[in-house]
Amino acid sequence: MTATAPVPAAVAAPARRRPPDNRLLSVEDLVVRFRTHEGAVHAVNGVSFELERGEALGLVGESGCGKSVTNLAIMRLLPKPAGRIEGGRVVFDGIDLVTLSEADMRDLRGKEIAMIFQDPMTSLNPVLTIEEQMVETIRAHRKASRAEARKRAIELLVMVGIPRPETRLKSYPHQFSGGMRQRVMIAMALALEPKLMIADEPTTALDVTIQAQVLELLRDLAEDRDTSLILITHDLGVVAGMTQRISVMYAGYIVETATTAELFENPSHPYTVGLLHSIPRLDEERAEALLPIEGTPPDQRRAPRGCPFAPRCAWRLEECWTDNPPLAPIDGSGRVITTGPDATHRIACHNPPTAEEAIAGRPLREGFVAAPPPDAVIQELVTRGAEEEPALLDEVVLMGPEGPESTAPSAGGLPIEPDDKP
Amino acid sequence: MIDPNLGSVVASPTPAGVGSNEVDGAGRPLVEVDRLKVYFPITEGLVFERHIGDVQAVDGVTFSLRRGETLGLVGESGCGKSTTGRAIIRLYKPTEGSISFDGVDLTTLSGDQLRRMRRRMQMIFQDPYASLNPRMTAGGIIGEPLEIHGIGSGGERRERVRELLATVGLNPDFGERYPHEFSGGQRQRIGVARALALNPDLIVADEPISALDVSIQAQIINLLERLQGQFDLTYLFIAHDLSVVRHISDRIAVMYLGRIVELAPSRDLNTRPLHPYTVALLSAIPIPDPAIESRRRRIILKGDVPSPAAPPEGCRFHTRCWLREKLGNPERCVTEDPALRLIETGHEAACHFAEDVAGSVEQQQVVGRPASRPRSSTPVASPGDGAAAGDPAAVQQIPTA
Repeated sequence: MTATAPVPAAVAAPARRRPPDNRLLSVEDLVVRFRTHEGAVHAVNGVSFELERGEALGLVGESGCGKSVTNLAIMRLLPKPAGRIEGGRVVFDGIDLVTLSEADMRDLRGKEIAMIFQDPMTSLNPVLTIEEQMVETIRAHRKASRAEARKRAIELLVMVGIPRPETRLKSYPHQFSGGMRQRVMIAMALALEPKLMIADEPTTALDVTIQAQVLELLRDLAEDRDTSLILITHDLGVVAGMTQRISVMYAGYIVETATTAELFENPSHPYTVGLLHSIPRLDEERAEALLPIEGTPPDQRRAPRGCPFAPRCAWRLEECWTDNPPLAPIDGSGRVITTGPDATHRIACHNPPTAEEAIAGRPLREGFVAAPPPDAVIQELVTRGAEEEPALLDEVVLMGPEGPESTAPSAGGLPIEPDDKP
Repeated sequence: MIDPNLGSVVASPTPAGVGSNEVDGAGRPLVEVDRLKVYFPITEGLVFERHIGDVQAVDGVTFSLRRGETLGLVGESGCGKSTTGRAIIRLYKPTEGSISFDGVDLTTLSGDQLRRMRRRMQMIFQDPYASLNPRMTAGGIIGEPLEIHGIGSGGERRERVRELLATVGLNPDFGERYPHEFSGGQRQRIGVARALALNPDLIVADEPISALDVSIQAQIINLLERLQGQFDLTYLFIAHDLSVVRHISDRIAVMYLGRIVELAPSRDLNTRPLHPYTVALLSAIPIPDPAIESRRRRIILKGDVPSPAAPPEGCRFHTRCWLREKLGNPERCVTEDPALRLIETGHEAACHFAEDVAGSVEQQQVVGRPASRPRSSTPVASPGDGAAAGDPAAVQQIPTA
């Protein structure tokens, strides 16, 4: 061993090489796969994003788009042995989390990165009182006496607005209502003053009036303590009021990323456009027809090929079937700012909708028809489906050759009959 | 637990205009629900079960459904909306009150008569993963109602199943497949096809899209809308999501703790909500537009919904009501239970002070509506600034994101 050999990480504290700027987290080209007996599930296929201190980022997408898996990977909480980080780096506050030892990672969780899950009932221990759980968390990471930890727990419960905290500490999780339980979860997440909070669908299990309470609490707390926030949700309404930036995910890719204002003002990826047209808005003057995205998300047991959204896309070109476009600035410039209020609006699309088309929800160019899959692609899908990979015939049906799935007007670009309903 | 004021369930006529919602010349409504109560007993003890109370899931609900219309029933968990829907289909036996379907009182029917009436009303359930029998093929599931009611020969049924599959936008050959071979949206289509099998008049759809992904939800909403026109269906559409309900419904009933607190044409409900609970509910729904979010006023209700086993005295909403606080806690809210009353044409609310909601800042700001619907996010100075007469703790401005 030479004198210049690096100190083994397990002995010394993890080496921090703080970036000069305000960057807290950077995820670079993250690839996560799940090994199942039916083959690999391509959950996250090269996701990159960055987060500044104090910034709130929304990760939006539907089930299976990889938004939760990305964050489980950041926390190194992927289900074992199936889930594996197969590529990329996650650098948090100067530390590479992918190569960090399990012991150091455990020390980091809760203390520096905390996570709030969708269902607080499954993430709180049902046989321990709130006091036991909170005191244990605090004492595991901080040198504090039982009494000090208890005092801190009471402070935290007051902060998240739980009435009569002294008596409520003695309660078990089932004695709280859903909203109160989620407040307890938030209190526990804040217990060690983490630099980053990851909230995974924190309000999906809650009623809408309770959701409003919890979201407001989360926003105020994150703002007050300059904590960075990653908010994972399927609800575009929730991120609209809660975040500064949004990344839209589809099938394990980020397909669009922009500041929140810019994303809603100028949605530019066909999937984002489709999402915005498939939800009714409370503030619309009169009911406008919904334009659903026809078809279903791709089966991720198949290795990705081409743009993942191509089979459902109204704007697709022939190359979309075979070539997956990278995330690039919409204005075609080379300069990319990844964080902050001036973040560059980027999309992964060969043929983005124009502003008028985004409002209309469908292509308006004369004679434009979404490109059918090239024969080679169909051939490959059908034959490969017969062997080790799942059959794709359903998706091929949805693409058109065997008839459309619905007769409604569609943002999915399917060759559809005109609607017979007036 | 029988209300002494209701001596007989053989309905004395409802006060004019209330609940019945002026049947506009189209004849008798398809469904008339009159003072419906559904209580679930709470018992104690294992051997000798003592009746110690009731969960008052539905407590005196009156409304009607016209032929061909869609009535939305909204509210939060535990408000009794699903119980109401299930009582209409007679999956629950009402404790009190009457449900008349096409003039026949369902509450008195049983056995064969009930089964015959049930042909005319069907249900679509929330969870397409749980409501389909995994051991039956899609064709078997869709054809089962035909079999139960002894309609058609085997061949005819098979033909009908293929027709139904095509109607809901599935490949007719998919009848051979099992539920796990379908995606969530496709499964819900199977549920819809099954509900259509007997050519019903009424479909009760209980949260039919809330288990589905956003991009799939619109497919099912559009399908339901198309089928309504095609088969002249009447829908009772139960959901917690007001923006979806508003989209699909002609009228909306808002429920809170077993009661209807507001009933209005859906175009009025979000522009002129008249019950303080509806105002709070609307204000809590996020709108996918940061510019609007930044200028909305959100009314944060305090605490949780009280237990339906021991609902508050007087107005059931008084424990969380922002209006009551704003008006200086009038005694009446605690002592007197407000009845649903007609306030504007076709618009009913159960609030002593509904007139104070009309025109209030809270009502106007509820959806953050600007002069015209913007596609740009130019921040507009909130018209509510400086006009916040309400309790500053209860009414808060959403900070700009």
